[in-house]
Amino acid sequence: MTQRIELSDIGIIGLTGVSAVGHGKAAHLTAMRNGQSGLSPCTFPGADVPCYTGAVEGLESIDFPSALASYDNRATRLSLAALETDGFAQRLSGTIERWGADRVGIVLGTSTSGVERLERDYRISGAEGPLSADYSIRDNNDHQAVTAFLIDHLGLRGPSYTISTACSSSAKAIIDGAQLIQLGLADAVLTGGVDSLCLTSIYGFESLELVSREQCRPFDVSRSGLSIGEAAAFLLLERRGEGPRLAGYGESSDATSMSTPPPDGAGAAAAMRQALSMAGLQPVDVDYLKLHATATPINDAAETAAVSAVFGTTVPVASFKGLIGHTLGAAGAIEAVMSLYAMAGGFAPGSAGCQTPDPEIEVAVRMSTTETRMTHVLNNAFGFGGSNCSIILSAA
Amino acid sequence: MRFYVDAIGLSAPGLDGVDALQAHLAGAPLEIAEEWQPLQTSLPARQARRLSVSIRSAAAAAEQIDPALPSNAGWVFASSTGEGDTLHAILSALCEPEVMIQPLRFQNAVHNAAQGQWSVARGATGPATSIAAFDASVGAGLLKATMQVVLERQTVGLVCFDTPLPPPLHQKRAFEMQMAVAFALSPEPGDGSLCSLTVERTNDQASDPLETMTLDPRIIQSHNPASRAIPLLARIAAGDRGSLIMKLPGTARLRVQLGDATDA
Repeated sequence: MTQRIELSDIGIIGLTGVSAVGHGKAAHLTAMRNGQSGLSPCTFPGADVPCYTGAVEGLESIDFPSALASYDNRATRLSLAALETDGFAQRLSGTIERWGADRVGIVLGTSTSGVERLERDYRISGAEGPLSADYSIRDNNDHQAVTAFLIDHLGLRGPSYTISTACSSSAKAIIDGAQLIQLGLADAVLTGGVDSLCLTSIYGFESLELVSREQCRPFDVSRSGLSIGEAAAFLLLERRGEGPRLAGYGESSDATSMSTPPPDGAGAAAAMRQALSMAGLQPVDVDYLKLHATATPINDAAETAAVSAVFGTTVPVASFKGLIGHTLGAAGAIEAVMSLYAMAGGFAPGSAGCQTPDPEIEVAVRMSTTETRMTHVLNNAFGFGGSNCSIILSAA
Repeated sequence: MRFYVDAIGLSAPGLDGVDALQAHLAGAPLEIAEEWQPLQTSLPARQARRLSVSIRSAAAAAEQIDPALPSNAGWVFASSTGEGDTLHAILSALCEPEVMIQPLRFQNAVHNAAQGQWSVARGATGPATSIAAFDASVGAGLLKATMQVVLERQTVGLVCFDTPLPPPLHQKRAFEMQMAVAFALSPEPGDGSLCSLTVERTNDQASDPLETMTLDPRIIQSHNPASRAIPLLARIAAGDRGSLIMKLPGTARLRVQLGDATDA
């Protein structure tokens, strides 16, 4: 068996992401630097909800591989869009060639997978069915569907599975990918997350009265809920590879409610403390706090209370949700990729959408972009089920 | 990668607990009550009535291993289909002229609903995750639990469960018999440890050990993804040794070697 290695021996050798602000590094750098939101009035077919969404452009024109047509849905299209951006697919093939397909694994996070295609089928066939003859659960709404598509499309033969813990899914996928390499079960792992816009998410969050009528405004005194987005993002991890590191992580459960954190964010604080401890860092060492911060009144208050308990009140916090919306199961991965882009770009992005920080929030809000060298960035991703995940990413 | 099994659990129609499985393996017929429901007591009664059979059955299996686990244990829930009944209810609501989704239904539609409800019911604040890998969900769940036990030196509860899908989804993915299987896993052997497990990656394509077991055909032919945990469960319960192969997606496999609890 291959010798066990430390987290610090694993490099993040490739990054890619697509979201409402565009495809790849340049588009995300521009949007983050200028605080330019990709949220626009919802035009998702069948969604009669007066809200804003973060839709990814250009999915319809993707040339979907005809041999894999059974997998064709909005989520797999998002994954293809991300693969084909910034030369990521080429980098991945080089990695597969170097280690052999048997030694390259894949762990993805998703909340809804390809349920968007199943929704279309139900709305045509009716709730009694039968579903259309060519519909495949395995290839579409099954939680493993996007992962299975990428296994077939890329010829990966290493260990694989999917994490589905709602909105913390893909932050946890990065951790599990690293664990596979640490234990010598794989030498490289494709990690990340995918979630597409779908009626289930839009109407589901609407039923919980969590969808804002305007573009979401994290930390703002008049924040009124989230804006749903979609994204696909990948991080390619490699044994002894060059590049930034996953320095530490923490995972915890609120154990209080399926959808509402406790007011003090105790579970969130525990996850952040674990991440710091594993990374061997003190709170003062962390340059940037990218919070989950969905812009719902309760969640932002609880998360910032947790930050205050761990980091004190002087380290400013930021949210990317005003730029790309809440991309649910993909949020952990796309926001990690954006954090790494910003790190490479030499600036600390502000919190798009926040105009007047809520005075009830104890911590300082990072309002605008500042040019600065960042070495350690903390990212939070939380989800239904009281699932908390914090990761610390460190520059190479 | 070696660790120890401290407790096991099972919830399936006619098989409420590991003892029932052992009795069945010893020759007792499998008798399934018409109105079978999972035997669980951890979810508050009023709330439990509104929760899916999937969540209740996962809780029923988790309860059986819970006494062997500390309150800060990690939990890995593995399921291919998660909340199929709730998914169908939401999709049906989307077919109505005026779409109204029940808020409680939506928050319990997530794949990690069983894991989340269990952590709330038990007050479990440790790390928890929810894994899916189609027909290889049991193998993937065991892989994740193994990584957590070995790397984080963490005691972990692993719960593998799947519930048959309602029509019209069932026609597209047919499997039967509600099933939930649970294992309490520990990095160190304890007084109550049942055996050690040594898990390694392999490409050995041996056939599914379930098919050769002397079990009621309704179990073997259920094609329930969670039934792939039965061979390991039965061997642990019987005190057997030897090894078996567990499927991961694609051609990757795990070899699971059973050993004595005293093995270092």
